[in-house]
Amino acid sequence: MSALLDVRNLKVRFALPKPSLFAPHPFLEAVRGVSFTLEKGRALGIVGESGSGKTTAAMATIRLVPAAGGEILFEGEDLLPLDDEAMRARRRDIQLIFQDPYSSLNPRARVVDIVREPMDLMGIGDAASRLERVKELFELVGLRPDQLNLFPHQFSGGQRQRISIARALTTNPKLLVCDEPVSALDVAIQAQILNLLARLKRDLGLSYLFISHDLGVVRHLCDDVAVMYLGQIVEQASREDLFDSPKHPYTQALLAAAPSLARRKSKGYVRPLKLSGDPPSPINPPKGCAFVDRCPLAQEICRQEQPVLKACGASQVACHFAAT
Amino acid sequence: MTHLLQIEDLRVTFNTRYGEVTALDGISMQVREGETLGVVGESGCGKSITALSVMGLIPTPPGRIAGGAIRLNGEDLTRASEARMRELRGAEMAMIFQEPMTSLNPVFTVGDQIAEAIMLHQNVSRDQAFRDAIALLDRVGIPSPDTRARDYPHQLSGGMRQRVMIAMAVSCRPKVLIADEPTTALDVTVQAQIFDLLNEIQRDFGSAIILITHDMGAISEMADRVAVMYAGRVIEEARADDVLDYPQHPYSRGLISCIPALGKGEMRDTLAEIPGVVPPLHLLGAGCAFADRCSHRQMRCDTEQPRLIAHGHHPAACHAVEEGRI
Repeated sequence: MSALLDVRNLKVRFALPKPSLFAPHPFLEAVRGVSFTLEKGRALGIVGESGSGKTTAAMATIRLVPAAGGEILFEGEDLLPLDDEAMRARRRDIQLIFQDPYSSLNPRARVVDIVREPMDLMGIGDAASRLERVKELFELVGLRPDQLNLFPHQFSGGQRQRISIARALTTNPKLLVCDEPVSALDVAIQAQILNLLARLKRDLGLSYLFISHDLGVVRHLCDDVAVMYLGQIVEQASREDLFDSPKHPYTQALLAAAPSLARRKSKGYVRPLKLSGDPPSPINPPKGCAFVDRCPLAQEICRQEQPVLKACGASQVACHFAAT
Repeated sequence: MTHLLQIEDLRVTFNTRYGEVTALDGISMQVREGETLGVVGESGCGKSITALSVMGLIPTPPGRIAGGAIRLNGEDLTRASEARMRELRGAEMAMIFQEPMTSLNPVFTVGDQIAEAIMLHQNVSRDQAFRDAIALLDRVGIPSPDTRARDYPHQLSGGMRQRVMIAMAVSCRPKVLIADEPTTALDVTVQAQIFDLLNEIQRDFGSAIILITHDMGAISEMADRVAVMYAGRVIEEARADDVLDYPQHPYSRGLISCIPALGKGEMRDTLAEIPGVVPPLHLLGAGCAFADRCSHRQMRCDTEQPRLIAHGHHPAACHAVEEGRI
């Protein structure tokens, strides 16, 4: 199998305001050395709490946030050294779907123009063929041709997300980055969009980098999963391994926290693993394991030494005491 | 055991530019002491309007309680004076809102805000109220509560703010606690903490909880009974297990089977979809409001409103269930 995207030791940091005129800039370490591989035609889910760096890592991967270090190999070519024009040409292959379908569409443009715009910018085809393509995409994502000339406010949330998906597909991308694409939608509508994304992946052979905090959604759509905590990947595995036998205590706690139909109050369900507190601040990340203060297994070595991602069964886990 | 809170045939209407629309069309539900009632449905189904009606917080005008009763310990709240409602709110019943940042006052410390609620209902000094506030913050699991009590809302994380809201809501040990999507803006780990806290508070204080949510997973973990709402009506009502294991109404079935499964081994290839969206209230016709999205629709569904009656297992408002077609 060939890797579409191979990210190695990616780092992102944001400069914070100086505490005084002559002091150096303090930095917020948002992504602290993340590596992952996305194969063609597969979906990699990145999960984690807010502030874990999952969105920043994905945005840095497609150069919408500047990276502070690392390599991003897209079909074998490193994206980081590319100049603006070469990167712009590369963006044809990389498209993005945002979380909020209300703010990511121009309210003053007709949807036909919104969906056509990437082709205008990339200079693909002529006017007639572009309109043809828009009509084709409308049908593909389940919108009607008579809706072409409407404005975004005339659509419901789920339909707007379909418009975003149509727009993302205009340039025939190879990689689709989905940043919480269903979080803003009602559950019934969420299912419609997830089914659409699954169908597009199957029919068009798309690859997804899928960011979500919802484990059920990730389990439904993704082939591989990476769990992030405070800017690092703490566990990476195939869907089956991650959900059926989670190794890292954080992954186990995340799974225990997610509501599920199998857990019934009437059957006296009590959560086995409780996480207290919040993640530590990324401004001064702890020296050892970032999860140490919330971890039920923590010992002295966890405070001193940062665990590295290593093989544990079929999974990759960064924990001194990972369950085997 | 009698019901602590009983909503009977409640009708709430709003004046809009489309004329008068019915936001709640004769809903009935009840909750006992120490019990959790889950109210579930998509946005626009009337869940929050139900909560606001109970609290007496429907903006009037344009809203109006057009019929029915809300009984708290037998007392009809729809006829209570505003002064009486002010006595009851906070003391007998309290509400936790969806967005803790906008429901806390940004210019007062959280300790002062909790103390204010205590002083409104109990005859205690400001100092005593502040000490009580610190004890409550400790009770809801906020670390170093005496320093946190002097913090302003923006200094706290989302989960901490929601804990402050809960501390405020339970400050007078209310008999009824209404939680309107209390965890929507929070991470799953924090959501789990808040759910566990609500359950503990219920055990300690014996409060009845009305949990409003769109998530059947949350219902499964939290609720004893469930009312499924659609377009201003209750379309199915029963014990949580009955609704989750034997959903009757096609809408309840859809809500349950459209959730991606998490448990070991369960895996669905495609999720069940409910096509379309909740219809706007001013466009509701004479028939079943769900008909447009329903795969069991027949002639009768367009002309006759189904009633909430038990056909087999438990009450559901659906002609197809009544006729034994599903």
